[in-house]
Amino acid sequence: MATESEGEEETAAAGVGGKLTGSPQLAVDGGDLREMAKKAAWSVSSCKPGNGVVALRDDNLDTYWQSDGAQPHLVNIQFQRKLKLQLVVLYVDFKLDESYTPSKISVRAGDSFHNLKEIKTVELVKPVGWVHISLSGTDPRETFIHTFMLQLAILSNHLNGRDTHVRQIKIFGPRPNPVPRQPFHFTSREFITYSTLR
Amino acid sequence: METLMVDRIHSSLRLFMHRNAIFLCERLCAEFPSELNLQLLATCYLHNNQAYCAYHILKGTKLPQSRYLFAVSCFQMNLLSEAESALCPPNEPNSEVPNGAAGHYLLGLIYSYTGRRLAAVDHFMQALVVDPLFWAAYEELCILGSAEEANECFNDAAAIRVQQQYSAESSLQKLNLANDNGVLPSNLGDTSPRKSKQLYCNNTRDIPAHPYGMATSALQQGNSMPSSVAQYDTPSPTVTQLSGVVPPPLCRNAQIYLNAMGGEVTTRLNVNAANQVPRRKYVDEAKLRKVSGRLFSDSGPRRSTRLSGEATANTNLNVSQVGGNGVNHSSARFLGGYSTSSSSKMSSAAQRSVTVRKGQTLSTENFDEGRRHEVFDDLLRLDNTATTSSAASNVADGRWPAQDRSGGILAQDSRLMDGIRDLLGLLRTLGEAFRLSCLYRCQDALQVYSKLSEKQFNTGWVLSQVGKAHFELVDHFESDRYFELARRLSPYTLEGMDIYSTVLYHLKEEMKLSYLAQELISVDRLSPQAWCAVGNCYALQKDHETALKTFQRAVHLDPRFAYAHTLCGHEYVALEDFENGIKSYQSALQVDERHYNSWYGLGVLYLRQEKFEFAEHHFRRALHINPRSSVLMCYLGMALHALKRNGDALEMMVQAISADRKNPLPMYQKAQILLSLERYEEALEELEHLIAFAPRESSVYALMGNIYKQLNIHDKAMFYFGLALDLKPPAADVAMIKSAMEKLYLPDELEGDL
Repeated sequence: MATESEGEEETAAAGVGGKLTGSPQLAVDGGDLREMAKKAAWSVSSCKPGNGVVALRDDNLDTYWQSDGAQPHLVNIQFQRKLKLQLVVLYVDFKLDESYTPSKISVRAGDSFHNLKEIKTVELVKPVGWVHISLSGTDPRETFIHTFMLQLAILSNHLNGRDTHVRQIKIFGPRPNPVPRQPFHFTSREFITYSTLR
Repeated sequence: METLMVDRIHSSLRLFMHRNAIFLCERLCAEFPSELNLQLLATCYLHNNQAYCAYHILKGTKLPQSRYLFAVSCFQMNLLSEAESALCPPNEPNSEVPNGAAGHYLLGLIYSYTGRRLAAVDHFMQALVVDPLFWAAYEELCILGSAEEANECFNDAAAIRVQQQYSAESSLQKLNLANDNGVLPSNLGDTSPRKSKQLYCNNTRDIPAHPYGMATSALQQGNSMPSSVAQYDTPSPTVTQLSGVVPPPLCRNAQIYLNAMGGEVTTRLNVNAANQVPRRKYVDEAKLRKVSGRLFSDSGPRRSTRLSGEATANTNLNVSQVGGNGVNHSSARFLGGYSTSSSSKMSSAAQRSVTVRKGQTLSTENFDEGRRHEVFDDLLRLDNTATTSSAASNVADGRWPAQDRSGGILAQDSRLMDGIRDLLGLLRTLGEAFRLSCLYRCQDALQVYSKLSEKQFNTGWVLSQVGKAHFELVDHFESDRYFELARRLSPYTLEGMDIYSTVLYHLKEEMKLSYLAQELISVDRLSPQAWCAVGNCYALQKDHETALKTFQRAVHLDPRFAYAHTLCGHEYVALEDFENGIKSYQSALQVDERHYNSWYGLGVLYLRQEKFEFAEHHFRRALHINPRSSVLMCYLGMALHALKRNGDALEMMVQAISADRKNPLPMYQKAQILLSLERYEEALEELEHLIAFAPRESSVYALMGNIYKQLNIHDKAMFYFGLALDLKPPAADVAMIKSAMEKLYLPDELEGDL
């Protein structure tokens, strides 16, 4: 029986996703989704001085985070409240980073560090550009995961590199309904015109 | 030398040669220090947008005109408390506000900016009493929500007041159209050779001519009454005292006088002083408050220009009225740079220069007269700058056809009266329409606007106002149409374009909106309206952060532009930054308490934060200001529903439905409320109606599906859920609907298994 994902980590199939190679464009539907992690707390398991966690959020594809420790390398994102999330996108570049490019990534979610469960694993093959990792399950009811915290674990790199480079990470979730306290969004022009004042 | 300098300064001002004027004026003040000269210098600075200089030189001066100029400088530098104490000194509670209507208007603005609404209303009313043609004061009253009906303000009693101000027995109105006749001044100024004739002045200190004809009566000499009543130049009786030095001017004056009289001035030079005696009467006018003759000049060909645009001009003009100093210099006069018409340079008699009426045929003649008149006049140290007295004053569109000189003073008067009546009629219509639209009685306002003549209607201002009225009625298509017309007619107008950008935002017209934004920026990069349009563009593309930055820029450019604050608030809420949203909305309300969009914004914010009582309060405030808005009623109903006052909520929804039949939302909300009350049948009925209105609205079907689900009529529920999904709602809704659909299967499956 399918369970509602409300309030629980999604325990959807945690198999290996398809092999991803990244795309040069950030293909995100701005109308439906928005970036959710601006006010989240970001942390990493280790970093080289000068290439810290800030580089993951600076909208600059030239700066990168470089880890400096043992695998798996972890990026932790903690939100202020439980949020619906749909998509994780990261920018990596095999041509520039070669052995630093991540190859196997596991996405985990939960309430906090002791409570994380893996929801998805993906394998990347010489990716160049934005890699989109969807958090949805197969079921349409499982389009979103509802969670306090997300953790991206980089389990291995290309060419067996020890440390990893990631240039940017973005997390996407659904836009809230512009009209407050409505169960459904409005789709037709007549409704939308009268639905708000500006 | 002093007169000469003054004359040159005035003519430089008239021709917008500010650097020249400032330099000469500074030399003048050094050479002949006097308060009048100081006023002239301040005027020069103010023309050159150097309010801080004017501020410094006028600090501490006591003469009314100086105080007025000082107040203007403080106002421009945003030093409101100093401006206020200059206009209304705290130690002298009974002192008269300098410059009459203009002073009251300025005080009114100061009070309204500092939040003292009642005092502001009082002063604007006084300004209107003094000068019934002072549109800007009426406009401010409308914005504050306290305007009386236009019929009260622009009625016959007002007409009589105006007439008194203008009539000096047959004085002509001199509407100085210096503005209009750009040419005039220059000619006047330039052609008069400066001879140093001068002098004369000592006997008669005439009050320099006033730009707008507020010539002060020559006889005033030294009186403090600045009468700025438009006057003409009638040579004063003292003319007789004039030495032979300037007989020609006299003639000219007379000439002009005659012209003014509307008589044909053909006999030039025959006039003799004797004729002028009666004219002198106008000197008494000096006692009358000045009227801004400019308004008159506005009528006439200028009527088509937006009256509201004149507002600022008016202030300027008013300022130029002679300050009460009675002293001659009216530096202020030239404030507007509008050439004033008269330079009274008349020697002795100098009375103000005439503002010759710009009669059609007469104009040239007058011009010449004026010009020559100027020549001599200017020498007099009457602070008149040689402005063009000839400015013809054009009374209400050529109501004074030059030809018509029946030589009657009476004829003049009656024409004057007609002119006044017509102008008042126009202001009445516009005022009433504006007042109604500020009260959000938009249908009525539209009706009143439709009464305007075609040429008045087809002007940028009126069309923008009509567009705004349609916007408030949520008729975005019509609004777009009118705004587009307005833009075609006056593409440089910025006022009201922020509303137009919102209209385009609602219509989701990305191309038009970005085009509008670009055009507005190219017209004026520093106007808040342009940046509001740009921000709306970004907001339409859901890029809320950039939109917010743009709106913040608009706020910086003009913190007194309430809508920019409101839009900032909307963007903060979209970004879920509620604290800053509240601050923005509150700033908007500080600027303009009647900005109902901000009350609405706060209501929505509190709804989201689930502070339902606050939400209700704010929606009620918004509704109080705009009682006809069905959207507001709908939201108030939603707040009441959240507070579980379902009876009241339903009532509100019914009201909203009847307020605007085209608004589908209240019906939808009503269905939701009925659903929560388990009155399923009624809810379904409402939704069925809705389908007629908006057949492609996914949420309607989804809600119906939910209701059938509650009623356990599964096949219908599935049917409607399916319809809802077909209409492609966003992913979140899809998820919800599909999960609801799955749940529908369960009971069947269970049954199947058993």
